[in-house]
Amino acid sequence: MQAVFKIHRFNPEKDKKPYWAEYTLEVDAKDRVLDVLHKIKWEIDGSLSFRRSCAHGICGSDAMLINGKNRLACKVLMMDLGGNTVTVEPIRGLSVEKDLIVDMTPFFESYEAVMPFFINDDAMPAREHLQSPEDREIYDASTKCILCACCTTSCPIFWVNGSYLGPAAIVQAHRFIFDSRDKGGAARLAMLNQNTGVWRCRTAYNCTEACPRDIPITDVIGQVKRAILYSNT
Amino acid sequence: MYKGREGQWAFFLHRLSGVAILLYLILHTVSIGSTMLGEEVYGAVHKLYELMPFRLGLIGVAGAVAYHAFNGLRIVAMDFTSWGVKYQRQLWYAALVMAALFMLLTLYANLPRLFPDIFTYKTIWGR
Repeated sequence: MQAVFKIHRFNPEKDKKPYWAEYTLEVDAKDRVLDVLHKIKWEIDGSLSFRRSCAHGICGSDAMLINGKNRLACKVLMMDLGGNTVTVEPIRGLSVEKDLIVDMTPFFESYEAVMPFFINDDAMPAREHLQSPEDREIYDASTKCILCACCTTSCPIFWVNGSYLGPAAIVQAHRFIFDSRDKGGAARLAMLNQNTGVWRCRTAYNCTEACPRDIPITDVIGQVKRAILYSNT
Repeated sequence: MYKGREGQWAFFLHRLSGVAILLYLILHTVSIGSTMLGEEVYGAVHKLYELMPFRLGLIGVAGAVAYHAFNGLRIVAMDFTSWGVKYQRQLWYAALVMAALFMLLTLYANLPRLFPDIFTYKTIWGR
């Protein structure tokens, strides 16, 4: 089938402002959007720039705004888009470096801010830090995050207020706050209780809808909100 | 426009109705405050509100207040309970229905004031 790809492009070295470039090409219904982008780059216009690494939905490099929704280009089939015209834009709220490539620095600074690592200064046990399957289950969903930024850059609050840590950072914090072996929960909750933390979430649910890993993000943020709320009373 | 679902629209409408209520309250306070400048000024200002855009606007304000209130309850349920998030869509539709009902009720109660030539029944205030 024929498809028309409208891609929001911008090269700061050449262009005064972003523009829509249109490419008409033959695609297969089973092609992923990423395959089509490859075809455009390799066969039509080599200057098209986008990130991708594993191309199998695990590295989280190719988050894009496809037909108005944040998705991974490598996880969307043409036939799932329901139409032959496809718009592709860079994810919002982060500055565009070139075409579909955005500056992820603020995103990863927020990630670092929540101390996304295991904290436990107790004497090391003889073997592993044991944990019951029930305790492991509590934070199971938040272990699935691949830091693709689909959630954070779909959040209307993040678009207008870049100081908000964003859903991805909160999901990462949740993964450790609710880990029974971790001792850094109080410090993380204090960090998320600031005005850049969980209270910025206005429950628009765009993050939950956008997550390619099906993490119930708004629910996860709600759990952190209640952990702060009920630990202070 | 980002293609979000119910949650996004619930949020946008909540903001919009919040701003509408704020503007109404400012206008309301200034209008009432005009009594400090004398009866004539107060009368002149309030004569303005007899104009149709203001009369209809009042129905909109009633709808905005009702939506903001009922969606506010939805937000309370989502933030304070673990089930609120799971039923957020249903809760939103319920908030919309309640807001629409309140708006229709306000409209019905105000029909004789809005269109005195057509609707002559007495309003709930007996006027």
